[in-house]
Amino acid sequence: MVRLRTEPVAIVAAGVVTPLGDVDAFWSGLVTGTDAISRIERFPVDDLRVGLGGEIKKLKRERRGGCRASQLLFAAADDLLARAHLDASPRRVGVVLGTALGGVEEGERALAGDPSARRTAAALYDGPAHALARRLGCRGPALTVSTACASGATSLGVAADLLRADAAADLVVAGGYDILCRFVMRGFDALRSLTRDRVRPFDRRRSGLLLGEGAALVLMARDRDARRRIGRLLGHASAGDGTHVAAPDPEGRGLASAIRIALAEAEVGPEDVDFVSAHGTATPLNDRIETAVLKRVLGARAGLIPMNSIKGALGHTMGAAATLEAIMCLLASREGVVPHTVGLEERDPECDLDYVTTAPRAARPRVSLSTSLGFGGCNAALVLEGDAR
Amino acid sequence: MTGSEVAAVGVVTGWGRSAVALPPDAVRAAAGRRVIAVEPPRAAGERFRRATRECQLGVAAVEALLREASLGPEAIRGDETALVYVTAAAYGSSNRAFIRAIASSTLHFPYTAPSAVPAEVAIEFGLTGPYVILIGGAAATIDGLWQATLLLRRGQCRRALVLAVETFAECEDLWARGRWLVRPPLVESAACALVVPGPWRATYAPAPAPSPLEALARARAGETLACAPLIALALARAAGDAGPVTLTGEWRGRRAGLAWEAH
Repeated sequence: MVRLRTEPVAIVAAGVVTPLGDVDAFWSGLVTGTDAISRIERFPVDDLRVGLGGEIKKLKRERRGGCRASQLLFAAADDLLARAHLDASPRRVGVVLGTALGGVEEGERALAGDPSARRTAAALYDGPAHALARRLGCRGPALTVSTACASGATSLGVAADLLRADAAADLVVAGGYDILCRFVMRGFDALRSLTRDRVRPFDRRRSGLLLGEGAALVLMARDRDARRRIGRLLGHASAGDGTHVAAPDPEGRGLASAIRIALAEAEVGPEDVDFVSAHGTATPLNDRIETAVLKRVLGARAGLIPMNSIKGALGHTMGAAATLEAIMCLLASREGVVPHTVGLEERDPECDLDYVTTAPRAARPRVSLSTSLGFGGCNAALVLEGDAR
Repeated sequence: MTGSEVAAVGVVTGWGRSAVALPPDAVRAAAGRRVIAVEPPRAAGERFRRATRECQLGVAAVEALLREASLGPEAIRGDETALVYVTAAAYGSSNRAFIRAIASSTLHFPYTAPSAVPAEVAIEFGLTGPYVILIGGAAATIDGLWQATLLLRRGQCRRALVLAVETFAECEDLWARGRWLVRPPLVESAACALVVPGPWRATYAPAPAPSPLEALARARAGETLACAPLIALALARAAGDAGPVTLTGEWRGRRAGLAWEAH
């Protein structure tokens, strides 16, 4: 197949809400190696094997703000709008969000006996995206992507497509979100995916993940239209495994395919990649497969590229994770520092790449590769270019 | 630029197993029933022992597409076929079952994710190409069809399946509360379109009004949410119209449009 290069898309600004705080606190927490995992307090967890997670303890609630997922999005949007303006016609501003869970907590409440129609509508997985579009006054396309834990990467790709198409939008608020709630904690607890230890990506002793919550948004524009930017999305691709509903393909074929296509779209070779933000969930299977795929696709260069996972600090924020990781890549480029992998102390011999450990590393990556995997065999890769100071 | 066209559409609804089975007037045919349910054919094999009804419907829609196109499964297997999946709510029943602890076992949880349906379809047919999952009603399916044309144009695939599934029966009481979102009869459906390189240029834009095909699909099928644009395509093809076509779809106040026109 003849593949066409796609036009880069500018990432103008970012806004987040995480267990570490807003963008500034997120970044400073990552470079200081803060572990934001704590005992979950917002809902009962005593009956679960594991009651730990990356919970946001303080969240400014708006009186008419809707569900927690919407509240997270509003907080991230406030952070974003403190750094950039939506200076386009509201009809030309789109919203594209990724989520694994949508408004599922509202569904729990609706089924528990709250019969309000508002609750029922919010339980649909696209409810929070529409709530954010209304809050921001965006009247362009409002899309929700749900490629499980790769959603926050796919959403940036779809947003870039909207901008490249010209006809649909001039600005897009894109990103991902997910909340910690009983539903998802019960599910992962039942799967025994959660660790009772700390999250240890790529560590010999890793025994599972912990979940986190958050929302991460970026403002995207056509590169030729952007007066300023924190970076560019050069390429994006997704690919399915077609092997299992919950486990990754043992050979990582879908992930390998997504990385290859994203690099080709960006017209970037392995020699150009300066940094890899790995999915790095700290499950025994994920980290081994991801390492093998990166070695296969990037060849000899793989061992020379600094790499990290931020899930040791935040937990796995599901739909927010890939957007948070993309933002981290761009901040690393701007600040000249790559955050280290919190929780990684004793490297697994099968995970033998250059993971940044112990302390942040002075480096100013220009081109970053970010990888994501999710339930259903969803894989995604982003190729980003930082706008170094 | 690579153009595109729709090569075939497979449809399974509460009215029957093709577009031809749709009644002339869905409201009249429903005779007061709020939900027209569909029981998918049970896919064979141990692998489907735990699969949900919506997963089975997804597989059934792709099988219907292959029959319609006179293709074998090998024609779509591999990494040159993209899968674009769209649903507004075909995760509701599995979420409900999990919340109510009807199915709180370890193995049910992954099926609560919308990604479970395309996963089962991808496993069944060996699809390992580009992969997009959109959540929403008919407007999201227009977005999905447009995504398929982009993937073809960029050379990321040689063909794309755009699949939509909607189920209602298990959450009928919840849908009764959301009357401003949906108009009965709610008709359970699954539909799949095969989009391939072709002569037509696809133009994607907001639509000010429903297209004739949107109105036709609504009248004949009833409320099928994300399946509606694909059912509209099937109706157009059943009427012998395989040429330029204009589709629209509405959801939550947004109407999107996709027109396949001559270059």
